[in-house]
Amino acid sequence: MNRIFIVAQSEFLTLVKTKAFLIGLLLMPIITGGAIAFQVYAQKHSDRDDHKFVVIDHSGVLSAPLGAAASAFNTKNGDGAARTGPHFVLVPTDTPIAADDAAALNAYRLQLSDRIKSKELFGFVEIPATAVDPNVEGAPAIQYYTETPSYDRFPTWLEQILNEEITRRRFDSAGVDQKLVKKLSVRADVQTMGLVTKKADGSVEKAKETDPIATFVAPFAVLFIMFLSVMSTAPQLLNAVIEEKMSRISEVLVASVSPFDLLLGKLFGVTAVAVLLALVYFLGIGYYAIYAGRTELVQPALMGWFVIFLVCCVLMFGSMFLAIGSACSDIKDAQSMMQPVMMLMMVGYIGSFAVLRAPDSNLAMGLSFFPTSAPFIMMLRMAMQPTPPIWQPALSLAITLATTVAFVWAASRIFRVGVLMQGKGATLTEMLKWIKQS
Amino acid sequence: MTAIEISKVTKRFGTYAAVNDVSLSVPEGSIYGFIGPNGSGKTTTIRMIMNILLPDAGEVSVFGRHSSTTARDDVGYLPEERGLYKRMPVRRLLRYYGQLKGKSVKDLDPVISTWLERFQLTPWADKKIEALSKGMAQKVQFISSIVSKPRLLILDEPFSGLDPVNADALKDAVLDLRRNGTTIVFSTHDMSAAERLCDRIFMIFKGQKVLDGTLDEIQSNYGHDTVRVRVTGGRATLAGFTEIDSVNDFGNYQDLRISGDAQAFLQKLAQKTTVQHFELTKPSLHDIFVRIAQPTAEDMKRPVSGAD
Repeated sequence: MNRIFIVAQSEFLTLVKTKAFLIGLLLMPIITGGAIAFQVYAQKHSDRDDHKFVVIDHSGVLSAPLGAAASAFNTKNGDGAARTGPHFVLVPTDTPIAADDAAALNAYRLQLSDRIKSKELFGFVEIPATAVDPNVEGAPAIQYYTETPSYDRFPTWLEQILNEEITRRRFDSAGVDQKLVKKLSVRADVQTMGLVTKKADGSVEKAKETDPIATFVAPFAVLFIMFLSVMSTAPQLLNAVIEEKMSRISEVLVASVSPFDLLLGKLFGVTAVAVLLALVYFLGIGYYAIYAGRTELVQPALMGWFVIFLVCCVLMFGSMFLAIGSACSDIKDAQSMMQPVMMLMMVGYIGSFAVLRAPDSNLAMGLSFFPTSAPFIMMLRMAMQPTPPIWQPALSLAITLATTVAFVWAASRIFRVGVLMQGKGATLTEMLKWIKQS
Repeated sequence: MTAIEISKVTKRFGTYAAVNDVSLSVPEGSIYGFIGPNGSGKTTTIRMIMNILLPDAGEVSVFGRHSSTTARDDVGYLPEERGLYKRMPVRRLLRYYGQLKGKSVKDLDPVISTWLERFQLTPWADKKIEALSKGMAQKVQFISSIVSKPRLLILDEPFSGLDPVNADALKDAVLDLRRNGTTIVFSTHDMSAAERLCDRIFMIFKGQKVLDGTLDEIQSNYGHDTVRVRVTGGRATLAGFTEIDSVNDFGNYQDLRISGDAQAFLQKLAQKTTVQHFELTKPSLHDIFVRIAQPTAEDMKRPVSGAD
């Protein structure tokens, strides 16, 4: 037992004392936060150009209000050094062209396109004559020509301004008062509520409106932290074992500790790292939740389940990586073998998106009881409302525990033989043979 | 008391017997040299002593105990192919290896400091292994095998790849350890080192024991059929003598293996040329090794095995 602890301790220190671990632990939130902050900043400050555009207005009435709206937009975005956004500048057309003069129109479109290519203009808009006609069936098509279709701020603005103006004109020509329209077309919202509960004194407690953080964000965060903790620890065992094999360290180790103790020590060391990682993340989130007054999000019982499932998960995947590492003779060899294990790990993560939408579906049930995805999906479902009946997490845990024991046992059989093998890596059939032989 | 007792041990890899019915007894406090060509079974034997491999037949016991972990704690081991954790600092690595043998950090630290000092590695104690030169890393690995103060030390090719200064430092360390009662088994291809250091020599060839005893015993068994001569005219003069089986030419003198009576040969030789030096000698370990391990056509057909 003492030797297992010594191996675990060394493994733990080796993993924790790397720069990669510190970066993962401390810098990850900083980097993520920084990236978001940068995006917000960039959106506000990078887009400060003049976007010049031409309007071919066959309706004859829309370009003037568009120009006015553009001026208002530009004023709002400020000028000079204080400018916070782009300016949309309406460039007047030289000569009006009749809508039925196809040849002249085409020539003009071509000319405008060339001006866009030479960067003089950003785009041009063609509004059909029927745009404001209340008797036209179907929506009139307004065309926006540009070289930069990925820039959606201008067309979004354009669509909003034109639609406001067009509907206003249609209602006017139909003789309906604009104010009345606004009043009558106020939208009705659907509120998602929790259930009504009874207070201790028998009166009925009012239901609260559900919020997206409790329903989606928190459960997904639980799953994601589990996934991140397993993903950033268990696969490292593979590299560690291969390094030991290639530099013949395993031989010295096996001369001091039994292969089984060595395997357990490594697994426990890595498990401790995973638990440490998860706890640090949860402490951070918990602190923030309390700070933000959302104490109901902190659930100690759920944490208990989480740690048990996380430990099983790391042991399960860790033993697979150890077995593969011990059976391979170099990293290249191992890479192809670790793909299937990675896929097994991803099943829970990918499945979570569907489970989040329908936590009671057959798929969710299946994934909750499928050995390698059970820890992930069951944790996710337990963090969601309504929590599954207790027999479900119990069964899920039983399956996970049984699988973990089986995997650790099988891995120890492979490890025992593989760790001293030099030269050619083992095939899957050879590994199965090692498991069977006594 | 015997440190290692190997009795009728056989180890097969598939159908190939890497070690075949070998018995050996290593007395406590001795230096035992394991020699033999590559692939003859040295490392397999050592691995069985270390309890890394289990014999298919026969028994191995260390300090009277059959392959138990307690015996393993008394054994230090330096494998043939070297490697250490590249990113671990020297002192932490040495502590780890010692702890794995059941020693506490408190007991280990003074031992570690003494050995680092002795090999002039003290300034490197907190550096990572990857920052060390190859020679330094080899010395660290040697220390790693003795930090736990083992009663039995097994060194597989300890001198290979060391420069003469480091090799001497290592030899001195080995002799010091022996003086303090440590039993030492080392395998080597360096015959002169084996002759100088070992109390007893064990040679294994094609999985079988071919030599076992003190250097004197072994040399006596191989007879006094070696003659060292210096003659006017050198090696060319020696051509044409039917008594000479082989010549080992050292330039200024030649070692000859002869059949028949040495005195009769001397007379014949004196008739042909001036004999400046004529000495009956014992065959060197090198000669004995070569005589046994002379490659035969059969060797070329033998499959190459990973197990040495």
